[in-house]
Amino acid sequence: MKIIRGKSKTWDLFIKSTLGKVGLGLLITFAIMAVLSPIWIARNPQIYDPLTGKDPNVFGSIPPTMAHPLGTDQLGRDLLSQLLKGSQIAFLVGISVGVFSTSIGTLIGLISGYYRGKIEIVLMRLTDIVMTLPLLPLLIVISGIFGRKDIRMIVLVLSLAGWTLAARVIRSQTLTLKERPYIESARVSGASNMRIIFKHIAPNILPLTFLYMTIGVTYAILTEAGLGFLGLSDPTISSWGMMLQWCFMSGYTFKALYWMIPPGLCISALALSFYLVGYAMEEIVNPRLRER
Amino acid sequence: MGIIEIENLKIYYKTVKGYVKAVENVSFNIEKGETMGLVGESGCGKTTIGMSIMRLLPRNAKIIGGKIIFEGEDLIKKREEEMEKIRWKEISMIFQAAMNALNPVYKIENQILEAIYAHENISKKEAVERVSRLYSLVGIDPRRAKEYPHEYSGGMKQRAVIAMALACNPKFIIADEPTTALDVMVQDQIISEIKEIQKKLQMTMMYISHDISVIAETCKRIGVMYAGGIVEYADAIPLFKKPLHPYTKALMNSFPSIKGEKKKLTPVPGEPPNLLNPPSGCRFHPRCSKAKSLCRKKAPKFVEYQHRHFVACHYVG
Amino acid sequence: MSLRRYTVMRFIQLLVTFFIVMTLIFILFRLMPGDPGVFLISPKMSEAAKETIREQFGLTKSIPEQYIFFIKNTLKGEFGDSFYYGRPVKDILFEKILNSIVLFTFGAILAYAIGMTIGKIIAWKRGSKTDTFFTMVGLGFWTFFPPWLGLILIWIFSYRLDLFPLGGMITPDVWAFNPTLSQKIIDFLHHLALPLMAYVLMWFAGSMLIMRNSMLETLREDYILTAKAKGLKDKVVRDKHAARNAMLPVVTSFSMSIAFSFGGGVLIETVFSWPGIGRTIVDVTLLQDYPLAQASFMVITLAVLIANFAADIVYAYLDPRVKY
Ligand SMILES: Nc1ncnc2c1ncn2[C@@H]1O[C@H](COP(=O)(O)OP(=O)(O)OP(=O)(O)O)[C@@H](O)[C@H]1O
Ligand SMILES: [Mg+2]
Repeated sequence: MKIIRGKSKTWDLFIKSTLGKVGLGLLITFAIMAVLSPIWIARNPQIYDPLTGKDPNVFGSIPPTMAHPLGTDQLGRDLLSQLLKGSQIAFLVGISVGVFSTSIGTLIGLISGYYRGKIEIVLMRLTDIVMTLPLLPLLIVISGIFGRKDIRMIVLVLSLAGWTLAARVIRSQTLTLKERPYIESARVSGASNMRIIFKHIAPNILPLTFLYMTIGVTYAILTEAGLGFLGLSDPTISSWGMMLQWCFMSGYTFKALYWMIPPGLCISALALSFYLVGYAMEEIVNPRLRER
Repeated sequence: MGIIEIENLKIYYKTVKGYVKAVENVSFNIEKGETMGLVGESGCGKTTIGMSIMRLLPRNAKIIGGKIIFEGEDLIKKREEEMEKIRWKEISMIFQAAMNALNPVYKIENQILEAIYAHENISKKEAVERVSRLYSLVGIDPRRAKEYPHEYSGGMKQRAVIAMALACNPKFIIADEPTTALDVMVQDQIISEIKEIQKKLQMTMMYISHDISVIAETCKRIGVMYAGGIVEYADAIPLFKKPLHPYTKALMNSFPSIKGEKKKLTPVPGEPPNLLNPPSGCRFHPRCSKAKSLCRKKAPKFVEYQHRHFVACHYVG
Repeated sequence: MSLRRYTVMRFIQLLVTFFIVMTLIFILFRLMPGDPGVFLISPKMSEAAKETIREQFGLTKSIPEQYIFFIKNTLKGEFGDSFYYGRPVKDILFEKILNSIVLFTFGAILAYAIGMTIGKIIAWKRGSKTDTFFTMVGLGFWTFFPPWLGLILIWIFSYRLDLFPLGGMITPDVWAFNPTLSQKIIDFLHHLALPLMAYVLMWFAGSMLIMRNSMLETLREDYILTAKAKGLKDKVVRDKHAARNAMLPVVTSFSMSIAFSFGGGVLIETVFSWPGIGRTIVDVTLLQDYPLAQASFMVITLAVLIANFAADIVYAYLDPRVKY
């Protein structure tokens, strides 16, 4: 009851925030791009497939034409196809990492904040250690070791390494929530620890969890794109980072702005949109930031 | 002629829901060497008055009208730079939330020195000596001046804050609930400390509290505030002997008497009004047992009913 | 506990963490498919050379013994020979680290100084046009894809305006003919300018936004009111009281984001062909030069740990309330 009221109020405030609206608008735009991707490709996969397609009438990279609204790359592949497909990949990677890593972080934060003691010390040390792992270099090394670049492995590593910030914040939030009278009364009335954690504490940290999920998504999108740009992402998919790498490597960087601009812009804008949603949320979750 | 004279002061806060009419036509004056007590329920506008004298109201506050005359000059008309010179040197303040009034990252001595240096051109040695003297005055070991706030207990912080308020020998001190955050034992110590300092330094003070028994102990003259207005203003003894305003009477029944008489306490009935939309006429009428139709329609004038005894009520006596 | 003891404790923690990371690397490289020791023995090596390596790294021994060898060698800085360069890894790394440190340190200091200054000013003027403007700009830069930012800078300043070189750290032609020291410095700074600008643009936004939020919270504190009531000038209240406290969360966030920043560093070094450790780790991974890749990763991790350690000590120094 209390929580439901809190949610709709959060939503009202969110919808009033300009930044939140901009972020949401951008998100929807990219979602539409992702949905349009198969439709655009299906018109003629032989030409429009982002990886294997080739326009027989095109030699080298060409600027935008009617058939290729964004032009083609040096192999004659359609850039719009790649861009639309890239949106799908970015959402896939971003959201799965966001959900996985935040779930891990929330769980670790809840447990260490609730149980305290040795569990807390161990989990927080673990958090400190994982937090100091330089992720991109780690992914680079791992891709070198296993030679095989697989997007699932990238998602896995990003998730296993990206939960630390959420864990820290949720732990300290749990610490304060634990002291609230209604938690105390739940304990006195004989509720089990699990019940208290998931029934009473977890719902109250939901906004925070959501906030850190948006941050997790931002960081996953940027890191995966970074790997792609270095040529170390999964070669069987076409992501924005790889588009930029193909452009960079084929020497077209400054000759073909129609090629260089869109992927970088999309990476930055999608990351921004998630970040904006989180930023607007933070102003709500943390009323101390709001103007009186 | 008082050291401070407030005339028809009117302050509103702008909020998303509308204007909070926090102070409405308040007038009073405080004479030199006198301690004036301002008492009233939480949210009636006491802090707002105090802050307006320092000209430190929040950004959404607006002084709609009135005058704040300090030593013959209207503070409302002063420029910010002029106010910077007046603050602390002429008028200083002991804050409501003294627990947090000290900056956690600086040693307390430095925070007091900073106030002194801002207003006086004296040598470090002199200034440090003065801090020592102030510490002795408020009852802390001067050697502890070089510690950080988190190393102090609540009571010690409060004493340090009082010492800081006295640092520049101000002509007028505003003490806004200086003891509310402390536990009862410490509260009593601090109050007797303040009383002693009062006697020693003969300072002029405005003491703000919601607790009329604390005010009775410390103040010679008392203003009773209700919902943004002062409803009664008189010397302590006549006020306690024969309160004129129904709210004053109710307030006195709601606190244990200082003399320790056994009396049944009755809280003031009803809720304090919402200042976004205060009641018409006399703001107290919805809670007043003697209210008549006139009270709903017309705000009573604040008149000198007896010598030095002001009251705002249509049906005094 | 004194600051000194805290420093010692924190240092021990650093060592422990480093050990754990070393172990992780040890395990990772032994998971590599192929012959045992593929990560140290290049197929191109002579039989004798291969034997020396096996000897030196205990590759014929049991796994626990190999682990001891590995720890010993790491502590000595022995990482074997680079497959690609054919020289000892430690010689190559030393130079690369220096190049990275120069760029990274300058970049971080500039970015944080600029970010915190702007953050403090716009928080003081909250709600003003300046505030809105910088907040927007900051949000934009904060999520800017680093290599793309680099490419755009190169496009504008090198390609179109021809103000700076396209990449690299020095012009070989200049250095080949006995240049004077000032010529060397100028050439170096000329190359440094653009990657430095990229670093600053990439990082100032983070510190600015955190500083702004932190200031907004600090400005509501009672001690700020006290400072104003003391008749201090606005600037003193802002800088000495508000900003000094608002800085603390910025230091914390620096400490927490440092590992992530190194990732951005790798990308920037790659785009600008800066011969630093970040670019090295990418190149040698693509070249399958495993000894160098392994060592580069360890060095980067160590750098993160040291930066982290430094930030924590600075924090403890800045905040007298820290309970050690
Ligand atoms: N910044 C603000 N914005 C809007 N309304 C405010 C603001 N500050 C105070 N008010 C409102 O103005 C009224 C007077 O507040 P003030 O702080 O002066 O009361 P007070 O008498 O000092 O109360 P207390 O005893 O609780 O300290 C209250 O109704 C309060 O809600
Ligand atoms: Mg108050």
